[in-house]
Amino acid sequence: MMLARLRRSIHRHTNGWVILSILTAAIVLLPLLAIAVSIFSAPNENWSHIRQYLLRDYVLQSVWLVLFTGAATAALGALLAWLIAAYDFPWKSLFRWALMLPLAVPPYIAAFTYGYMLSYTGVVQTTLRSWGWAANQAWFDIMSLPGAVFIFTMFLYPYVYLITRAFLERQSGSYIENARLLGRSSWSIFFRVVLPLSRPALVSGVTLVAFEVLSDYGVVNYYGIQTFTTAIFKTWFGMYDIDSATRLAAWFLLCIVSLILLERFLRRRRRFSATTGRLSPLAPQRLRGVTAALATLFCLAVLAVSFLVPVGQLLVWASWTFDDVAVTADFRLLTYNTVTVAVIATVLIMIFSVIVANTGRTLNNAFGIALAKAMTTGYSIPGAIIAIGVMSLFITLDELLLPLYRSLGWGEAPLVLSLSLVMLIVAYVIRFMATGYNAVESGFEKIGMKYTESSRLLGFGMTRTFFRVDLPLIRGSLLSGVILTFVEIVKELPLAMLLRPFNFDTLATKAYQYASDERIFSAAVPSLAIICVALASILLFHHLGKRVRS
Amino acid sequence: MNPFKRKTAFLFLSMLLSAGMLAACGNNSTAPAAEGNNPSAAGEQAPSAAGEQVVNVYSARHYDVDAKLFEQFTASTGIKVNVIEGQANELIERIKREGENTPADLFITVDGGILDRAKQEGILQPVESDVVNGQVPEQYRDPDNQWIGLTTRARVIVYAKDRVNPTELSTYEDLASEKWKGKLLVRSSTHMYNQSLLASLIHLNGEQQAEAWAQGIVNNMAREPEGGDRDQAKAVVAGIGDVAIMNSYYVGQLANSADPEEVKVAEQIGVFFPNQETTGTHINISGVGLIKSSKNKENAVKLIEFLTGTEAQTTYSASNYEYPVNPNAEWPELLRSWGEFKHQQLDWSALGENNQKAVEIMNKVGWK
Repeated sequence: MMLARLRRSIHRHTNGWVILSILTAAIVLLPLLAIAVSIFSAPNENWSHIRQYLLRDYVLQSVWLVLFTGAATAALGALLAWLIAAYDFPWKSLFRWALMLPLAVPPYIAAFTYGYMLSYTGVVQTTLRSWGWAANQAWFDIMSLPGAVFIFTMFLYPYVYLITRAFLERQSGSYIENARLLGRSSWSIFFRVVLPLSRPALVSGVTLVAFEVLSDYGVVNYYGIQTFTTAIFKTWFGMYDIDSATRLAAWFLLCIVSLILLERFLRRRRRFSATTGRLSPLAPQRLRGVTAALATLFCLAVLAVSFLVPVGQLLVWASWTFDDVAVTADFRLLTYNTVTVAVIATVLIMIFSVIVANTGRTLNNAFGIALAKAMTTGYSIPGAIIAIGVMSLFITLDELLLPLYRSLGWGEAPLVLSLSLVMLIVAYVIRFMATGYNAVESGFEKIGMKYTESSRLLGFGMTRTFFRVDLPLIRGSLLSGVILTFVEIVKELPLAMLLRPFNFDTLATKAYQYASDERIFSAAVPSLAIICVALASILLFHHLGKRVRS
Repeated sequence: MNPFKRKTAFLFLSMLLSAGMLAACGNNSTAPAAEGNNPSAAGEQAPSAAGEQVVNVYSARHYDVDAKLFEQFTASTGIKVNVIEGQANELIERIKREGENTPADLFITVDGGILDRAKQEGILQPVESDVVNGQVPEQYRDPDNQWIGLTTRARVIVYAKDRVNPTELSTYEDLASEKWKGKLLVRSSTHMYNQSLLASLIHLNGEQQAEAWAQGIVNNMAREPEGGDRDQAKAVVAGIGDVAIMNSYYVGQLANSADPEEVKVAEQIGVFFPNQETTGTHINISGVGLIKSSKNKENAVKLIEFLTGTEAQTTYSASNYEYPVNPNAEWPELLRSWGEFKHQQLDWSALGENNQKAVEIMNKVGWK
């Protein structure tokens, strides 16, 4: 009886989608599994030292960093999203897209740039000195926890802004207008209506930010902040103890997974999708006079700090070093490399995300949720640790495939996969699945199940429903997933450093090499190239997005 | 719906395309030696059959001068140099994991501790070359010749010329004394250079004294460690502290910076070589190791011979302000102006052995 029920249940739930999802999850999970099992092995003699000196403070610093950055990006992102979605003011149509530009700037480049600009020889202090002000050095010390929060907030808020804005523009019309009719003030609407309503959008945006912050190494290392990632690197490269480093990563993983499950649990019973079929888009209200000027000024200030000023500074430096740098590096090739890898990885990520997200929501059970969340854990793990997992996996694969290589007459070079771009691309897929996946998932959450269910009731299969009904409905979210993922990969650093094949450089690896050798002026040229590629893709997709909507 | 259908078609097209690209990349990589111009064609030839001469380098030095020297080597010998750049420890990990099959012939990095670590990991083999032995004095080579030095940099004390009389300066040990309280600047302990410095002091003075020294350094810090070596020099000029521990070649780079403000910084600081009366100034050695399973050993040795030759050594020093290991190489004017100095005479393996101890001590005393 039980067996029959089980068989029926398996039969009912097993289809091509589920199998594809499980396969995808396996690719993503294998290297992570290699890390996770280290919790069960016996710790070595270094572990007590690590626990005593590295864990407590470092975990605490990480927590502060994530909490402050999370709160700040949520506030800034939501505020901007609400301003743009609900109001009209001068230059708004410009800000609507320009406010996502900071995404194009890698935080480590921003950290180096601001670090220099505010340093003793930087433009700020030299200008002040030329006016005869010998300013207190402490005022300019950006290399601290608050400084890092500032950098992360200014250069990561677009994640929150983009997702929240898309949500507000399409979903919140009736709520906000009702609140207005009932005489609520703007601020009250923001706190009482907008914030609670956009919780799923905020959560998925802030989650991306939090993961980004947790696995960052460039910013925290240069600013001298001790985080969990620093502890992993110290253990690995200072104490040469990769076992303990992996164990740290495993605990890290465990915390992340429990946090995600907790969040899921907390909003278990609430499904945030419109209850009526008629979605009224939000009609923006015109601001006048001082409020309009304030809104414009605020957006302008954010844009200046997070994009115009640092890019302007990089342009000046690039003009100093362009001739030297352009001679030694072939920027066309670097750009071509960067774009090629990013395109391949982005396409794969989007396909995988759609498959798993669609399976997950159709199943709508613990298995579906576990599958979905497992896919996105890669984002929370420091790149270097993923790299080690992927590398081990590929070397094993190559050993297994050796007979095949021999039969093909490639005997001389048995490390076929591990020396190819495939390894780097798989690592990107693991690391950035969350960016694509969260966008797709929020798209699905927005449309709810009603269209899908109607289609199924009317006799379409899951695949047909997906292509005819679901996909057209989530295309906006797909597009934002593509932008976010592509730009992430263009900026990505540690994986590219560790896993790229011979003679293969990306713009990011070139920029970081200069910056980490304390040659920030030379780093300006490749940094600007990264920003240009990212910008071009943001603008292209913005344009496409407009066409898709209209 | 129409534009969307087009998009779906586009999606599938890109899938196909990417699958094709992946396949092409896979092929290409069977021949890391192959010319990159024509990936698909090159992929079909086995590297040995093509007969092209190559040497594969895993390098943790990422200076433009290195790329320039590799090009010169290719121009004069016809041997192509393939490079993967990365952080030293990560590269060692990679070579270990690739095992026997590693394509790496040479490993290049910038610290004696790491070079010794590569040796201890058993990934290197002795370099047998009379040319190299003639060009590089014994003190800059591993006792078993498993790695060969390329350049050195001194870990010097930099001081504010207007506030500090160089006669007040003497040794690294002295920087931990009360008189420098709140006046000392140094970067974080995550950096190899500080770890190796402490490792050398553990070797010379014993663990207890080294720990007391590290504690003294932390007590004397003018601020918590932040930024790189250049940032310490700027903090001295800005008046945050009076003295800083930093690497000599960064001073050279400041003095020749594109930013006139940085040049001014270099003019306001003095360079002091510590421990001249005692154990000598600590130096980092940058060097190259021959990988045990190297498949292009002859070419690899030729490259080492080239890099340690007088001409290449002069180039290293002129563009990067590092000290050449070849005594015949010329020093740039700036290095000559600082003069000759006595450096620490210690077995390089001491740095590798004591590195972990150093990191543990730094954690213990709270050196961030």
